[in-house]
Amino acid sequence: MRFLSRRAFVGALAAAIPTASLIRHAHAEAVKRISGDASVLQALGEAVLPSELGDARIASTVRGFQRWIVGYRESAELLHGYGTSKLEQSGPTPATRWATQLDALDATARRTHGQAFAALTMTQRRALIQSELNALKADRILAISRAPHVALALLAHFYGSVEATDLCYDASISRQSCRPLASSTRKPLPLAPTRRA
Amino acid sequence: MSRFTKRRVIESDICIIGSGISAAMVAQKLARITTGKIVVVEAGDEAPPLRQRYSLRDRFLQYGESPWPNDHLDGYEIDGPLQSRSMQVGGLAMHWGGVTPRWSPEDFQIRTRFGIGTDWPISYEDLDPYYQEAEEVMGVAGEQGPAAMDPRGKPLPMPGIPLTYNLKLLKDWTTQAGITMWSQPVAKNSRPYDGRAECCRNDTCTPICPIGAKYSPDFTWDRLRKANRITLYPRTLIRRLVMDESSTRIASAEAVQRGPRGGLRGSTPVEFRAKQFVVAGGYVWSAHLLLLSQGSRAPNGLANRSGTVGKYLAGHRSQQAQIALPLRLYPGMGAHHSLVTKQFMRAPEGSRYLRHDLRVWESSHEREPRLRDDAGTPLLGDAILNDWRKRTATGVARVRAYYDVIPDRSSELTLDASRRNEWGDPLPRLVFRDAPESAALRGYSNETLRALFAKMAKAGGGTVLGAATGDGGGWQDHPAGGCRMGTDPSTSVVDRWGRTHDHENLFVAGAPTCVSASCANATLTFCALALRTAEEVAR
Repeated sequence: MRFLSRRAFVGALAAAIPTASLIRHAHAEAVKRISGDASVLQALGEAVLPSELGDARIASTVRGFQRWIVGYRESAELLHGYGTSKLEQSGPTPATRWATQLDALDATARRTHGQAFAALTMTQRRALIQSELNALKADRILAISRAPHVALALLAHFYGSVEATDLCYDASISRQSCRPLASSTRKPLPLAPTRRA
Repeated sequence: MSRFTKRRVIESDICIIGSGISAAMVAQKLARITTGKIVVVEAGDEAPPLRQRYSLRDRFLQYGESPWPNDHLDGYEIDGPLQSRSMQVGGLAMHWGGVTPRWSPEDFQIRTRFGIGTDWPISYEDLDPYYQEAEEVMGVAGEQGPAAMDPRGKPLPMPGIPLTYNLKLLKDWTTQAGITMWSQPVAKNSRPYDGRAECCRNDTCTPICPIGAKYSPDFTWDRLRKANRITLYPRTLIRRLVMDESSTRIASAEAVQRGPRGGLRGSTPVEFRAKQFVVAGGYVWSAHLLLLSQGSRAPNGLANRSGTVGKYLAGHRSQQAQIALPLRLYPGMGAHHSLVTKQFMRAPEGSRYLRHDLRVWESSHEREPRLRDDAGTPLLGDAILNDWRKRTATGVARVRAYYDVIPDRSSELTLDASRRNEWGDPLPRLVFRDAPESAALRGYSNETLRALFAKMAKAGGGTVLGAATGDGGGWQDHPAGGCRMGTDPSTSVVDRWGRTHDHENLFVAGAPTCVSASCANATLTFCALALRTAEEVAR
């Protein structure tokens, strides 16, 4: 193996420290922006999530999404697949992109409707979101971290949840949860009324 | 590593190289039936303990992060389809699926029965008691299939994992299609077993079982270490085996204990001396080590008088489909568990050669929430959920058949001089190739299986949503071989017990010794073979 010269090593170190530090700083800033004033994100949730969740569960879904963002780690080792020796790491934080998109939604709302995004009707909000998704040629719900738009990330967060699956099937499937072996031999029970809308 | 660093010498009766599932089988058996001093050497790091696995699983579920961080050596990007980059205490079986079918009697006699491939030097009957032993060590839960298809000497250690509601419906469907299926045997506890918990369908068996209901080798290592029956050296890479100067016996293994940061810097040389050596590094690292161990008396590597070390890499290919059925299924009840049959393990007389397994799972294929409907209309808000509900009124089954591939001699692992690890040793290069008779059957095999899937769909009033062949990038599943067993030292590396023909105190255990790779998951067979080898080591 060839070692770096001392000069090259010091150079690489000097270059690496500010980059890593800047990335961490950018992530923290984006988290602060998304968590600080959540009104746009909350309004986005009301527009893209199913209304039958009701206000409280939409709010809790949005909070869960914020927690997901806070917990994101860059350059984390991802699950490596079978059949290859390639390794993969998580990419740069998507939070900076999403924070910018939230700002853009609000700015567009103010420019085109003279009001904050959160003050728009559902129809107006959805039209704005749809326009942005069309511009991105978005046609599917991807994994959260790969979502090109914050609206898709929020959708991925919700529709990837145990709660969403149970709501769709109106059944207590509780996938990926600890469940007694014997209970799964029966048809899943319908959702309790409190878990329905 | 400085040239002045003092070499540490470790002596033992038995030195086991590798700490994966085959190594664990060998070690636990030798610890039980001998009194010898056993050392186990593993290049990778320790795996995270059981108590950390819920939080690691959570990171995997939320962010896709590996629940086995740092389970690899840096700089090991190799040329060819490596099964997995994992290298840690417990090996790949830290994240295996725990699927443990036995192979069939036909697998060991395909030349005699079907006029194709090579017979093994052992029969299914020879292996039956070791299959049983492996099932008991790991704890296998399984349903007994019909005796003609699924012969065994004794009952399975645990009752099968109960079929979920989904699998019950799917079993009714396969019965209509004329296929007899049952609960797939798995190394997961259907009741508390051997101090480990009952499975609770957390459903992340691959890559991580958070409660230890699935067997993984770390449980064996923990127990053996606690009882002081073995000494395990992690982070220690064996670089070559060295022959005794005056005989063909193996005298020592030259190793390096990796530095604190994992690699070359701060690493220290170690020499393992033992009366017997067992190479249990899986299908890649076993043959790789033998090839690396070249010397003036073994210019092509150790145990390689036949020139077949690294040759005849074997695996199987698959054909898979998703079938839409008019059944209300609830995906998520147990996505890892499946139905299985061995009905197609015997090639029908008079037709071309094709043997395959068949498994059926619940699936959510094309039943996921989506952003646009069939007409391309964008969906948001209630529209997404309503569309999803409509589309999940009926269900989807995933069906997959593995079919066997007869390995060619040129299906091989060689040393790649263009890629080296930090210590300058060439990395392996892997290429899988079918024997000509197998290559000629490939189209027929895929077509026949697609026709079977179409027939199954029709029997249930369903439709095939799509079929796919599983051989991307030259990959073959459940790879094995590279040190194949045989009675003829000119065409094989080890004898029927895993002892190398060329060196009386050198054994190879598990996957590398396979002559062929059947058409079903292989780990149980690797374990049974390893237990046979342990018996011979003790003898």
